[in-house]
Order: sequence, then structure tokens, then C-alpha cells
Amino acid sequence: MTSIVSLLGLLGSLAPTLVAGATLPAAACVAGPPYYAFELHTTKNIAGTGLARGTAEVEVAGSSPFSIALAPDGSYVYDLHVALERMKVPREGQLVAWVTTPEIDRVVRVGALDANLRASGTVDWNRFIVVITLEPDDDPTARTWSGPVVFRGMSRSGMMHTMVGHGALQQENCAAYGYGS
Amino acid sequence: MEPMRSHVTAGALLAAMALGAAPVDGQHEGHAMHGMSTDAGWRMVPMDPNMPMLPGLEGAVPVVGPWMPGMGIDAAALPEARPSQTVSMTDGDTLDIAVSMVRRTLAGHEMIMFGYNGQYPGPLIQAPKDATVIVRVTNDIEMPTTIHWHGVRLDNRFDGVPGVTQAAIERGESFTYEVHVPDAGMYWYHPHVREDVQQDLGLFGNLLVTSPDPDYYGPAHREEVFVLDDMLIDDEGALPWGDSAPTHALMGRFGNVMMVNGETDYRLSARRGEVVRFYLTNVANTRTFNVTFGGAKVKVVASDVSRFEREQWVTSVVIAPAERYVVDVRFDEVGEVAIANTIQAINHFRGEFYPEVDTLSVVTVSSEPAEATVSEAFDTLREHADVVADVESFRRWFGSAADYELETTVRVRDLPQSIVLSMEADTLYVPPMEWNDAMPMMNWLSTAEQVTWILRDRATGAENGEIDWRFEVGDVVKVHVFNTPDSFHPMNHPIHVHGQRFLVLSMDGVENENLVWKDTAIVPVGSTMEMLIEMSNPGEWMVHCHIAEHLHAGMMFSFVVEGSNR
Repeated sequence: MTSIVSLLGLLGSLAPTLVAGATLPAAACVAGPPYYAFELHTTKNIAGTGLARGTAEVEVAGSSPFSIALAPDGSYVYDLHVALERMKVPREGQLVAWVTTPEIDRVVRVGALDANLRASGTVDWNRFIVVITLEPDDDPTARTWSGPVVFRGMSRSGMMHTMVGHGALQQENCAAYGYGS
Repeated sequence: MEPMRSHVTAGALLAAMALGAAPVDGQHEGHAMHGMSTDAGWRMVPMDPNMPMLPGLEGAVPVVGPWMPGMGIDAAALPEARPSQTVSMTDGDTLDIAVSMVRRTLAGHEMIMFGYNGQYPGPLIQAPKDATVIVRVTNDIEMPTTIHWHGVRLDNRFDGVPGVTQAAIERGESFTYEVHVPDAGMYWYHPHVREDVQQDLGLFGNLLVTSPDPDYYGPAHREEVFVLDDMLIDDEGALPWGDSAPTHALMGRFGNVMMVNGETDYRLSARRGEVVRFYLTNVANTRTFNVTFGGAKVKVVASDVSRFEREQWVTSVVIAPAERYVVDVRFDEVGEVAIANTIQAINHFRGEFYPEVDTLSVVTVSSEPAEATVSEAFDTLREHADVVADVESFRRWFGSAADYELETTVRVRDLPQSIVLSMEADTLYVPPMEWNDAMPMMNWLSTAEQVTWILRDRATGAENGEIDWRFEVGDVVKVHVFNTPDSFHPMNHPIHVHGQRFLVLSMDGVENENLVWKDTAIVPVGSTMEMLIEMSNPGEWMVHCHIAEHLHAGMMFSFVVEGSNR
């Protein structure tokens, strides 16, 4: 089985455009359509995060002259806002937000969380995972994380599941669709 | 002709038309059609043969009857449709338009379609801003029709809405439109009777309103009109349409054959560095295109009813049904450039996004250089001070609370149980936009007799034709449109307002920093569009979704503007 570590080694030129945004005002983090917001779940990997909660919200990228922003390949372009709460901020290290594909073969740094435990950026993948890690320091040039994963959450599109191979309505052999036997 | 003052009802506009049905041999691709009556004329919608069939749907056909144009008529006896011709008109000029059956060959199939003056698309009408042109329309197709002048702020009597502004034009009858064009830009005209059929069969054309200002747009070497469309065709030709009501009521009738100006292989030539101005119009029933230009540099200049405040670089043009965009494109690289619809489609059965690229047109760029001055001027993004000033005069309303809140939803009844179960099971995630028909069988089987699309006034609960909005000329009205993600089948909706113009101030609370006057704008699923409508034009006007099948599944209402033009 391919390890996450080896998949992370594939990082680089395949990374999509993702721009770390400026720190948001404390109250401005909830603007996007709630339907596409998703929770970030604590891993309890570090102290003070047992009761912590996190959210990721997406909104139409503001720079588009159209009602919806798309990347050249047709993927949605979202402004992404992540926020944590009810957690004890670690005394050492820096919380950093990342996005990665479900296969974890590409990773892009969103940015360091600010004093209000928020970070913003842009993501142009249709399906992605937000990862918050505790890094030794704030290194804007880092291509992937090195510290422990503190929070993670899957974009709403991750809930789009296959209807092949399972379910009450299944009547055909899922092997025909590449899903084993 | 006096305008009819009765408030429009869904019933008035949805009056069932018995279009007639005749036998067509059955045809389907890779799926059993047990029990299908070939006498009924339905044949199964084309779909990926690897896509599994839901239980209980084998042999199922829509609950409405099938209909094809010109049944019993020998296509060879009809004139072959000709490419669109330009008609330059000045104030007071008259154009006769005959609505008739034509013969077309598409994707290797000879078929009977409709045309304006035998052309496909209809004539490109050019008229100067502030002119009034006369258009006499005579109907010679087997259905009643009208012409709606999409986006034009004309006299209400000539808006082309049957049951509201005029009686439909029956076969053999005529109607004379006086089309006053107060705003420069690209508009289009199409029927407002069974658009899902008539528009799909070729009844559309452009109306280019020219500005007296020679510097209205920036310099370009030349201009091209691109009418984007698709059509649903299988091994036997076009799929039948529903007779008493549209099929494909859930998602609209996506085509599988893409066209530019009615052609499936539309080609252009350009010189290296040539700046081509494209006037894009989407006349498809439901497909939103994401138009890419093969890496050429693109700037968006204008949309429906005005130029943007500022020109803006873009990498693609997202254009929903009925929208128009004016874009300037410079072709710097020698060779072939594909203009394509570039999307991330969805395969619901695999739960996947996948890239899909359909070439719409190919531009062959020669090494001969284009005239340099124009090429160099392209690098400058212009600001349109008159548009900025116009928008600025409405800024005092930008911060006001919404006067009305609309929400969209859908109600279904009597759909096959497996469709209902499947939809309910697979709605944990709904994409903001439906770029492809990811469920062709379920979509085809849903008709406007089973599906009701709804615009609901949140304050009153009134739906569609029950909505009663009244204004005075000069009112400026803020409307929030929320596309509910929690319905049976959420979907994006291109919302069209007749007879007025509006600004999209924000989407989901994100302020739009580069405004343009619109008549149609897309609302993705889960999003809220904040629109500011200038009520400048008296009369009774429609608001509706411009997905043809959604319109005919009820998603419309009218509002009244009292007073007179100022």
C-alpha cells in the first residue's frame, strides 16, 4: 500500500493555485453558503484539543466576473476560511492550515492560523481535505506538513459517494465499474 | 394593441398543447427496453452503456406522449436551412420574419427543424441604439409561437409573452413587433411558447444594438458572433420531445451534440496576434458552458445589457442559458486553437468528478502577423467611465435591506419510486452547478406533469403565479434569490427578468467589485444572489428560470410596473 509519506513526495508542480489570504477580522469568517461548509474534526493529537471544534467555509471567489468562479479545467474556485475554537493554543509551534486531495498526492499550504485561530486562502479542487497541523515554525515555503495533524475535515463533495456496488438499489455487478467484486 | 392586465398564472402559460404524436421506431443504446411500445414513438435516451439501470425503469417511458416536428412530411420537400445572414436596420425599417419548417442535417441525420426566414440561427439583426425597428412575424409552423426580445427594454406590448402581452400567433397568423432598442449590446430573440421544443429546434437569433460611440468597445481586428447550443441526438436523429409537457423536467434537456452557430464543426482562421471580439450567446435549453480559448489571452468586456465597469482578464467564460458575454481574445500562438467547453462533469454512479472537454470550434492561427497597433492596445484593460457613473447613481441602494426574498425549490409527484429513492439516497452532496446530465434516464422520465419548479416569496409564501409584486416606474428594488440546497433535487437556475435591467451586487455576501447590467444571471445551488433591479419600464413582466424545462414546470411569475416611461 502506498504510504501517505510517499504520496506526499509527489508534491510540487501539480499543486493548484492557492493563495494564503490576509488575516480576517474576527467576525468576518462566516460569509459563504452554509451548505458547503464542513466541520473540522480534532485528532486529539495534542493537548488542549479534546473539546475543540473547527469549521471550514467556502464562498464564491470574489474575483470572478461571473456568478461562479472556475479554474481553467472547470474545477470550482473557492475562497476558503478555516476557524478553530474551544481549544488551548499550544505554547510552542505554529498551527498551519493545508489543503490536500483525497489521495493526499498533492498538498498546498493555506497559511498559518492567526491569533484568532483563523486562516484563509483559495482552493481550486472540487474535492479536498483541510488539514491543520502543528508545525515547529511558520515556514511559508513549506511544501507539506511535518508536524502532527491536529484537525482534518473533508469538503462537502466528499459525501458524493458511489452508487455502484452497494445500496438497496444495486442490481449490477460492481466489478464492471472497477470496484472489486 | 392594449396590454392585457390580468396577472399571469402558471396555468395560462402552461396550457397544454396537443402537439400530436406519430410512431417512430424504437432505438436505444445498450439497454434493454422490455415492454416498450414502439408504437408510442419513444426510444430511450442515449446514455453510457456502462451506466447501471435502476430497478423498475427498464422499458419505462415518460408519462407524456412523444412529439416530433413535421411528422408525415417529407423532409426533402422542405427548404434546407441556410446560415444566418446579417440584416442591418435603421430607425423605422421593417423586417419580415417567417417562422417555418426547414430541413437540417446534423450529426449525419437529416431532420426537420424550425427556422426564422429559413436560417439557422435566425437573421442577425443590427440596429443602432435608440432605434425602433418593425418586425412582422408570420407563423407557419404547426404550433402557436411568439417572439420574445430577450433583454431589450422595449414597450411591454411587444415582449412576446402569450397570455400576458399578446395572444400567441397561431399558424397562418401574423403579429407585428415594434422593437425599440435603448441599450447598446448583444441581445437575442426566441419564442416564449414551448421553448423546450421551439428553441431547441432552431428558433433563435441575435439582435446587435450598436453604439454611436465608435470607441464603445476597445480596438479589435474583427468580430465574430458565437451562438452556443447543444442538441440531443441518437442513432436515429433527434430524440422526441414531450407533447403535452416537456420531458427532462428535473435537469433540463442536455444535448450531446455541441454547436456554434448551428454547426458542429465551426472553424475560423486568424493571424498571429489578431484580436477577435466574440459575442457569445447561450441558447441551449439547460447547459451552462465554461468556454475556454486554448490558452489564448482573454478579457471580458461586456455582458447582457452593458459593458463591465472595467475590462477584466479571465481564463474562461462561464455562460448560462440566455446570458451573453462580449470577450476580446488575442491569438498569439501559431497553430490550431480549440475553443472548448471545459468542465468537471459528475458520474453519480461512481461518485466522481471527471474532466470533460468538448471542442466547440477550432481557430487556425497563421504565422502572418496581424496589424500591431490593435494587438498592443489589447494589453490595456479599459475602464468604462460612463458605466461606472451609471452604476454609481444607484450606490445609495447598495446597503439597503432586501425588499423581497425569493427562494427556489422543487416539488415532485408520481415519479417512479426507484427515481425517488435514488434521488433521496444520493443527495448528501449536490454540486453548485450541473454541468452535464449525470442521470439521463431519470432526467428524461421526469416530466413537467410530475415536477413543479418553484420560485417562492419568502415573506408571503406565495409561489410562482401567486406572487403579486407591484412597483412604480423609478423604483429601485433589491431582491435576494436563495437557491435552496435542501430540496428533492437542487439545481442551478439562470434567473431572467423581462423588460428591466439589474445589477448583481453580491453572491453569498461577497461584494461584486466589477458591476455590469444584466437581464439573466445564474444562481448556483446553496447560493444567495443579491440583485438590484431598476424598474424603468412600465408593464407586466415575467421573472423566470431560463432553463426551458424549468420554466414550463412552473418556475415563473410576473410583476407589474405602473407609470410611464421617463
